[in-house]
Amino acid sequence: MGSVRKFDSKPKINGSWKFLDDYQSEDMIYGNIIYSKCHHGIIKDIHFPNDFNISEFTFVYAKDIPGENIVPEPVSDQLFLAVNEVFHYGQPIIGVAHPNKVTLTNFIKKIKIDYEELPAIIDIKECLDNEKNHFGREITIDHRTRDEIQNSWIRHHNVYYMPHQEQAYLEPQGVIAEYDKQDGIIFVRITAQCPYYVKSGVESMMGSAVNDVVIETSEGIGGAFGGKEDFPSLLAGICSLLSYKSGKPVKIVLDREDDIKITTKRHPARIEIESYTDPATKKIEKIDIDYRLDAGAYQTLSPVVLARGVLHTAGGYGFPDSFIRGRLFRSNTPPNGAFRGFGAPQGFAAMEAHIDGIAAEMDITTIELRKANIFNNGDEFPTTQKVTEENLIDCFNKVLEISDYQKKLKSYAQWNKNHKDKKGIGVSLGFHGGGFTGNGEKTLNSEIKVVLEKNAEVKIFVANTDMGQGAHTTLAQMFCEAIDHPFEKTKVQLPNTSKTPNSGPTVASRTIYIIGNLLKQLALELKKKYKFDKLESYIIEHNSEFPLELRKNYIQPTSVFFDEESYRGIAYKDYSWAACVNEIYFHADTYQIELIESWNVLDIGRVVNEQIALGQAEGGILQGLAYGLSEFFYKPGFGRMSGFTDYTLPTTLDIPKIVIEFIHTDSVTAKGLGEIPMDFPAPALRNAFLNATGIIIDEYPLTPEVIYKTIKEQK
Amino acid sequence: MKIRFTLNGKNVVLESAPLKRLLDILREDYHLFGTKESCGEGECGACTVLLDGKPVTSCLVNAIHVNGKKVDTVEGLSKTKLGKMLIDCFDETNAVQCGFCFPGFFVSTYYYLLNDGDNDLEKIKKALSGNICRCTGYQRIFDSVKIACARKKVGE
Amino acid sequence: MQFNKPKDLNELLENLSISQKKNYFLAGGTDINVQIKKEFIKDGNFYYINEIDELNGIKRKNEKVHVGALTTYRELLESDTISEHFPFLQRSLTNFASPLLTTMATIGGNIANGSPTNDVTPPLLVLDAELELISVAGIRNVSLTSFFTGYKKSLLKKDEIIKGVVLSIQAENGYETLYKKVGARKTLTIAKVALAGLKKIKEGKIDEIKLAVGSLNEYPRRLDKLEEYLNNIMIRDINKNTIDEILSKEITPISDLRSDKEYRYRVCLNLILSFLGINH
Repeated sequence: MGSVRKFDSKPKINGSWKFLDDYQSEDMIYGNIIYSKCHHGIIKDIHFPNDFNISEFTFVYAKDIPGENIVPEPVSDQLFLAVNEVFHYGQPIIGVAHPNKVTLTNFIKKIKIDYEELPAIIDIKECLDNEKNHFGREITIDHRTRDEIQNSWIRHHNVYYMPHQEQAYLEPQGVIAEYDKQDGIIFVRITAQCPYYVKSGVESMMGSAVNDVVIETSEGIGGAFGGKEDFPSLLAGICSLLSYKSGKPVKIVLDREDDIKITTKRHPARIEIESYTDPATKKIEKIDIDYRLDAGAYQTLSPVVLARGVLHTAGGYGFPDSFIRGRLFRSNTPPNGAFRGFGAPQGFAAMEAHIDGIAAEMDITTIELRKANIFNNGDEFPTTQKVTEENLIDCFNKVLEISDYQKKLKSYAQWNKNHKDKKGIGVSLGFHGGGFTGNGEKTLNSEIKVVLEKNAEVKIFVANTDMGQGAHTTLAQMFCEAIDHPFEKTKVQLPNTSKTPNSGPTVASRTIYIIGNLLKQLALELKKKYKFDKLESYIIEHNSEFPLELRKNYIQPTSVFFDEESYRGIAYKDYSWAACVNEIYFHADTYQIELIESWNVLDIGRVVNEQIALGQAEGGILQGLAYGLSEFFYKPGFGRMSGFTDYTLPTTLDIPKIVIEFIHTDSVTAKGLGEIPMDFPAPALRNAFLNATGIIIDEYPLTPEVIYKTIKEQK
Repeated sequence: MKIRFTLNGKNVVLESAPLKRLLDILREDYHLFGTKESCGEGECGACTVLLDGKPVTSCLVNAIHVNGKKVDTVEGLSKTKLGKMLIDCFDETNAVQCGFCFPGFFVSTYYYLLNDGDNDLEKIKKALSGNICRCTGYQRIFDSVKIACARKKVGE
Repeated sequence: MQFNKPKDLNELLENLSISQKKNYFLAGGTDINVQIKKEFIKDGNFYYINEIDELNGIKRKNEKVHVGALTTYRELLESDTISEHFPFLQRSLTNFASPLLTTMATIGGNIANGSPTNDVTPPLLVLDAELELISVAGIRNVSLTSFFTGYKKSLLKKDEIIKGVVLSIQAENGYETLYKKVGARKTLTIAKVALAGLKKIKEGKIDEIKLAVGSLNEYPRRLDKLEEYLNNIMIRDINKNTIDEILSKEITPISDLRSDKEYRYRVCLNLILSFLGINH
């Protein structure tokens, strides 16, 4: 079947696929959030403009919440609506709705809120450098095996800073809530990754005031990248309350400026690494990592990001002795949340830079150093999980080969001798654990449903959303391929909590890896049970037995055990692996790095749909490159950004040639793909700059301003 | 004020505030939802339409600009022969991911095919440089446009 | 906000001559619509001028080319007159705006906007462009070099508008040229530094040089003092430190969300030195 085409691509191109704002209904009114413009303070007074007819508006305050004023998260500490005190800019205070969108916008603009301002932290370094700001979760992975540090070992110690990153999905956040008074049901349509998260959000908000809550996604979800994992619960809660109070369907679609200002971002990180390397063997004998994330004003899902972060930050290296400490820090910015990679990009950005730092200090090549330490079969993760394959080595060797690394390394060094501008080439490694961390998939116990219709149509019911990654096409393809059923005779139900069982959230690179493989298993079991050659013919012959509904739950293999206390055991059953070579051109006059070519080799196991997989990888790699090169959200002294004019995404003219190769594609298992492309490209870019100029920069992104400042300080 | 213009080949008359954005006119008054709003300040191209045959971001065009002019949106252009061919090219290479930016890319590419259509990658990049895509990394979009250029040549 | 649609230039100028409030002009709308959205425009008289014929078109008259204020970037990019006489200006234009904005954005709008970062002014400055300003009192010509007087301030009187830009067809003749716009990305970007330069070098001597910068002062400007120092000097006699010293008095870059003043200054210096062929 190979690369079947996405069933939704044509309607998306011709504009007929419906995104959230494209849904209309007759008596729909428009809602919005009045949010804090103060970083931390006590609300003293709220002034509404007097040139509006206040009675036309619907307002909801914290006091109006029938359920609990808590957004349910891994840590339930975030409020739907502020009570007296605001803890971050962008914190929702009032929900408001009006039949006319323009009137609503003009009204909100004229509202003034007085605050008694309290001390606030919005600066990333001020937050992360000060241990006093630590709050909430702390994780330690203690794999120290020796007491003594040999005199001959070479110590390398450094601190790395990683910025916020904005998901910048093209479709802004939006939701429509409709309260059916007769049945006491709230129906929510939303652009979101995880319908069941939204459901528990709205249930928490509405409590016993409603009998049921049903969530359905919009047909199109215009990009998410993690940004529509947790924030939609907050938005849907407020919108539902507005609908409940007004008795009308309410639509909220955030303006881009508001979306950028108040939604979650990638966590800024400060990672400090101390390592000891044996110069004789080039083996890194001991490593100590202090991994800190700026969680924002509330913990929300940050502990989960922290967990994945500490489990990835040591990189693809077999360190015999390691100690990792992960902590969350509090600031007065909106809670940072999920973003493709989920703590791993920060970890690799630091670790892969550190590896090149050690090599530079020891005057050996980065390739030698990586080869001496890269995961071999039998090595251990800091969690003591055994590495049982050498696929990372294969990725590494392959990327060096296809990029012609050694030859270019020499020729660039030669070229650089006679030119003011510089060329550089750099490498990085990465990996990503598929599915939820540790025992997470066991707890989730995801359920899928398949209905075989009388006409031999297969209907797939899962809660996993297609936000552009092609999940629904690929899931259908996996079921069909397993039993040679025609793809055209397969449909995937739009996720709806009253129709699709809870197959878990669309996160953690788990959709194909967990749900897709589960569908495949179900198909194979079906074939085994009914002993058919073709499902279609079987259904025709035994038509009275159909329609037939089948359900299956994911059972985590018993071999997978993870101790959440000691952080030992199997953190992830399967890992995807990757290696990258980036080539850059450094413009000496403007201190700008230009991306020339990005070479990437990935092992994601079996590739179900090559075209879709390549598209995913290309997009993720560009996000990763931009993370290293140009994307940042906060500038000391000047604050946070507010729109697409300031937050500059790469255009068609800013991108390198991206080459991707998948290896070990004949494996049985299709592993995770969603996040790994984002995890590793940034440090290869930073290392290419180091190779080009000899200048070490430990702060991402490598903007021309940072480069100039570093050069000036070194002189 | 009364605005008269040609929308996807049909003459229409609309009572509108002079500064109302063309984007809002298309979506609210004509329910043409293919034209999307993402940034609202001309920085992303999701709302691209043709105004008198030239590409514009409809979020920065006002009703009064449109009076007496010709507006073509994705809904109209996608039904033309060239439009259908282009859709096939995008589909074949799996160029589309979330799709929110795509009507904009479609319109920009349509204009490029009609007015240049050269296979050169640098020219294609330039022609699409007003449209932002966050999902794809653009590589597959370039591939599709190259195929479309070649097919258009053969078709001529 | 009072909305007006004058039927021709005369009516517009009549209106302006009696207007009491602040006047805003809707031409291509690429900038003013963003300002409306961000609420920078609150109250005033709003004039739709995009279809006033007298303000449109590229016309050659003897040794001059008149570019109407409403000429769009797209028209400039597609104009044979411009490509024949001003290939440097045309090349510079390709760096300005995305293909979607060039359809509507006008040359007059970009200048009148008066932003320190406006793209079109630096190349026009080195081409010694003149502006035609018009009011009921008639037309007056002012050189673009003297047009701006401060941050978003100019010689334009309340009852005047820019009618067009006047260029001498010899303006680019015989010069080596440079236009560099440095931004966060290659397009859809606000310049951190912009530099335009024309030079004539004969036998190792600078015969003539013109330099203009954007995004480095309260408004785009020519580097008069630096030009004075560089004109008629042997390249080998140029002192880098002198350039640095003069430049430090002529540009006043700032730090903001987009860039830093130190960076802006240094990049401007580097670009000038490279344009002069001086190692640094």
